[in-house]
Amino acid sequence: MPDTLLFILVVVPFIAALGLYALRNDSLRMVLVLATAVLLTGSSLALFSHETVAFSSTLLGINPQPLIVLLDFVVLFIILAVGLSAKHRLIIYLAGAQIVLLAVFKLVSPAEATGQAMFLVDPLAKLMVFVVSVVGSVIVIHALPYMKNHEEHLHLTTSRQPQFFAVMVLFLGAMNGLVLTNDLGNFYFFFEVTTLCSFLLIRHDLTDEAKANSLRALWINSLGGLALLIGLLWISLDLGTVNIQQILAMTPEAAFLLLPIGLLCFAGLTKAAQLPFQSWLLGAMVAPTPTSALLHSATMVKAGVYLFLRFSPAYSGTFFSTTVALVGAFTFLAAAALAISQSNGKKILAYSTVSNLGLIIACAGVGTPAAIAAGMFLIMFHAVTKALLFLCVGTIEQRIASRDIEDMRGLYAVMPVTALIAVLGALTMILPPFGMLLGKWMAIEASAHNIVLVIILALGSAVTVLYWARWAGLFMTYPFKGRIYAESQPAMTRLPLFGLILGALLLSFYAPAIYNSLIYPAISILPLAMPEAVPGTSWGILVMERGSFPVIPLFLVAALGLFAAIYFYKVAGKVKPTGPYLSGAQSPDNENEYIGPLRQSILPATSNYYLEKIFGESTINRWVNTTAMVLILLMLGGGL
Amino acid sequence: MTSVQVFLALIAGLFLAPLAVGVLTGVDRRVTARLQSRIGPPILQPFYDIAKLLGKEPMLANHWLAFCSLLYLAGAVTSVVLFFLQADLLLIFFVQAVGSVFLVIGAMTVPSPYSQIGAHRELLQIIAYEPLLILVIVGIFLTTGSFKIEAVYAMEQPLLFKLPLLFLVLGIALTIKLRKSPFDISASHHAHQEIVRGVYTEYSGPYLAIVEIAHWFEIVLILGLLSLFWSTSVVGLVLLLGITYFVEILVDNTTSRMTWRWMLGTAWITGITFSLINLLWLYYG
Repeated sequence: MPDTLLFILVVVPFIAALGLYALRNDSLRMVLVLATAVLLTGSSLALFSHETVAFSSTLLGINPQPLIVLLDFVVLFIILAVGLSAKHRLIIYLAGAQIVLLAVFKLVSPAEATGQAMFLVDPLAKLMVFVVSVVGSVIVIHALPYMKNHEEHLHLTTSRQPQFFAVMVLFLGAMNGLVLTNDLGNFYFFFEVTTLCSFLLIRHDLTDEAKANSLRALWINSLGGLALLIGLLWISLDLGTVNIQQILAMTPEAAFLLLPIGLLCFAGLTKAAQLPFQSWLLGAMVAPTPTSALLHSATMVKAGVYLFLRFSPAYSGTFFSTTVALVGAFTFLAAAALAISQSNGKKILAYSTVSNLGLIIACAGVGTPAAIAAGMFLIMFHAVTKALLFLCVGTIEQRIASRDIEDMRGLYAVMPVTALIAVLGALTMILPPFGMLLGKWMAIEASAHNIVLVIILALGSAVTVLYWARWAGLFMTYPFKGRIYAESQPAMTRLPLFGLILGALLLSFYAPAIYNSLIYPAISILPLAMPEAVPGTSWGILVMERGSFPVIPLFLVAALGLFAAIYFYKVAGKVKPTGPYLSGAQSPDNENEYIGPLRQSILPATSNYYLEKIFGESTINRWVNTTAMVLILLMLGGGL
Repeated sequence: MTSVQVFLALIAGLFLAPLAVGVLTGVDRRVTARLQSRIGPPILQPFYDIAKLLGKEPMLANHWLAFCSLLYLAGAVTSVVLFFLQADLLLIFFVQAVGSVFLVIGAMTVPSPYSQIGAHRELLQIIAYEPLLILVIVGIFLTTGSFKIEAVYAMEQPLLFKLPLLFLVLGIALTIKLRKSPFDISASHHAHQEIVRGVYTEYSGPYLAIVEIAHWFEIVLILGLLSLFWSTSVVGLVLLLGITYFVEILVDNTTSRMTWRWMLGTAWITGITFSLINLLWLYYG
């Protein structure tokens, strides 16, 4: 049975992508996308009913290995062709080097090692498949009406939706393959497919900016791909295997292997857009919003942090792991600081993604059972909430024709439903009892013995609160204008938003149960070097050796507080409305204005503090990029 | 904890502690007045103020103010209750942040320049004191080996001896949280500054009363955190709190408000340097 599920999760999206590309009919496309989404969601959930760890060496009895080898070269030659046609030297060199190295690898790699245990279904893989398949499907569904609007807006003569949806669905299949494979060679293949998919999605609108940014994404990720391939070749030559579980089992004895593991981690850093590689992810904003949502939540960047978590047993307890934690924590703080200076909604979301991924990498570096658990929690909650927020910004942008948050001031008066969902989403990023905060709490408590690390995390945590609270408040800033009516939206726009916010809340509520059934089995089987106890739960309370987090009790208190607050809001609806306080100079005609010089009515205007001089990109980019580079060198050196 | 202890903790956290803080702020106003050669209001003036606010006709510039004021109270009360139940310190701190965030969101819902600027300054205050509080809590963890308050009460020696510098760091956070000079950036006790009452400007009548009560609960929490530094004897605890609070009043009256840039720089640089030194002592000592 896992055989069939694996086939659906990995191969069906590839087939569906071909179908979506070939069948150029709107309703057929919708049916195909919905069918794929249902299949993926169902299979990813069905995977949970299987035993903790399951291996499979074939897909429906067929060995796909030769096909994968062929496709691997195809992908690399496509990248080479892109480089040649764009005359982009770096891409040409990087792709060329990978083609040569891959050929070497295929010639010298132990043939029998690749065949066994090709796929592995363990709790970490199940979590990732859930994120990719469920969150990814929701985003693709939301994209159906979105792309229709998008193309109407651009007045295209021939629709480019077939390509778009084909790549989106293909992306999901590649991600599923990436997290399910137990063969490092195949991992490399899926890794390259996601690079190619992200390139195609970013350049989708074919503007000059989109083309330039897609090329940047391609070369940065190809750099990561090259590092991954070198690490892969090194490991296969030294250990004689590319079986990930075997590598993890062998690495404690083969401590000198930290350098190739470091190269894998370097690839993870580029894919997760960690500083100083963040520019490709920020450049990716030019793409239609579903692309951003997909890159930031369910796919791509999650592949990078998955790599860190997957290989954490290989480096736990070493100096290398300490530096991994530092690299991640530094990005957590620096990207959060950069987010403060932004007024572009998508850019804030992008920096926040980079920041949160840094926290996950820091967790992988800390490497205790509690830290790994925090990392897994953060992956899940970040995916759901970030997908939601991107889809909200996309929906808002199509309505108000701007992605600047200053233009979203008072959004509640225009789109109350979307605004409330977005505000709630922002709050689930920073406040208890929600899951992101739970993950952050676990991360800080798990790393409290490392002084430098915990200082960086403390600063980053505070800075994060600033830009989310500001965002939430801004959406609600509006003067009294009488009754506010809910906006109308297509069902395929509204249902994904409702589904995701409901998902964020329910998953937070069920965090203790998720911990017991998924995360505990994952971390209790990890061969970590840390002798620390594995956290447990009782009565909906998450209990660690160092502290405890009463998830369910806090939820009950929060619900009580919320009901009281809603009651207050209802009662307040009957009280006398006044204008804002304007030093007693309020205009008699309009209570939102004041009487200024020459008895003129003036509408006061305010804007957010963006603290450009302290946190602006132009002020700190050079410093944070240099520091990140130095830390990465320190990390790779730690592998020596 | 037994159920009787839980019951007593709830009574103390929900009623006694905020009442005590009400009296304390009354004393604060009196002492401040004396320092300024005035007589000052009665000690119970803060209670009269609250009672008067509660009796006012409710008027609002935005309905969400009512919603946010209540959630500010809910966050503050929950964190105090958790403190008296001797829960996880880091968790208590994060629950406290819920209240602060809703105070800011409420202030931001009204497009009045005063409350908007006050809200942003309040956010800057939050990022100034939050890391310091986390580091104080980390220091307590490094001393006791646990994030739970019960581990502090199990100590034989006052925390102060191990964490003298972190106590000073907590003092910085306390000054910010009490809205005292030189850190009364987002809202001072007096309405006579360039941002009127800043983050409080748009809360009025009964809703302002709720906000004030919530602020009392926040003060309970910070003083509670201070009290952990001399948890071994009641006399030591009372002396420590009394002296610290008196120093706060002195600082408030001998300094003037500074800009937010100065606040952020001072809080972060001084606070983090002191924390780092103290944490290093603990780690290698």
